[in-house]
Amino acid sequence: MTQDEAIEWVAKVFESSHGQLTPDTHRDNVPAWDSLGVLTLMASLDSEFGIVLTDDDVQAIKTVGDILDIMQRHGKLI
Amino acid sequence: MRFILVDKIHDLDPGRRITASKILPASEELFRDHFPGFPVVPGVLLTEMMAQAAGRCLDAEGTHPGRAMLGKINGASFRDWVKPDQEIVLHATISQNRPAFATANCFAEVAGKKVCSAELFFVFAPHEQFASNQEDQILKAYWETHPDMQSKWKR
Repeated sequence: MTQDEAIEWVAKVFESSHGQLTPDTHRDNVPAWDSLGVLTLMASLDSEFGIVLTDDDVQAIKTVGDILDIMQRHGKLI
Repeated sequence: MRFILVDKIHDLDPGRRITASKILPASEELFRDHFPGFPVVPGVLLTEMMAQAAGRCLDAEGTHPGRAMLGKINGASFRDWVKPDQEIVLHATISQNRPAFATANCFAEVAGKKVCSAELFFVFAPHEQFASNQEDQILKAYWETHPDMQSKWKR
């Protein structure tokens, strides 16, 4: 998956438009990135990529780029 | 009407799958409006029935930090009308079961025909938020008829 595709995937998870998100987008600026959004992200990463987030991961994720970093770490980004 | 939308649990594998059923009698007042002369069970209630069945499947496991609550409805579809007095058989298979969330693939059928389906996402609300003296009568009835299961699962 390319970075652009990954951002599109993140946008879908948070019910946002693709063009609204960049790696620098902070969670505070994504309306659906609330407590339910975090759980949705955890479930989606688990079911679609086999990535199980730790509590530390969840605490550390503040931006779209942080999600991309985790996907990169798990070999899911080209 | 009460909001207990499962009458009976037929089969239960806690945390994994459940089959349950519900009949909405024609005497329910909602059918006066949904719809006049053409009474059908609302899709939102079918969805809630599936959610209540799946939620009981998760709650029966007794391993989560709270009670299963519907958080998200993904891809619900309604394929056929469901009339009053028809037995609606509810099926849920838990596809993701984690401490903080769970996902259930659900469908409902009438007379062997699938009438609706949805993927339901659950979160867990702390037990302290609920009345402590309330026992789930539907689950209780199932445990009473399956004492072997009760000794294995019920806490």
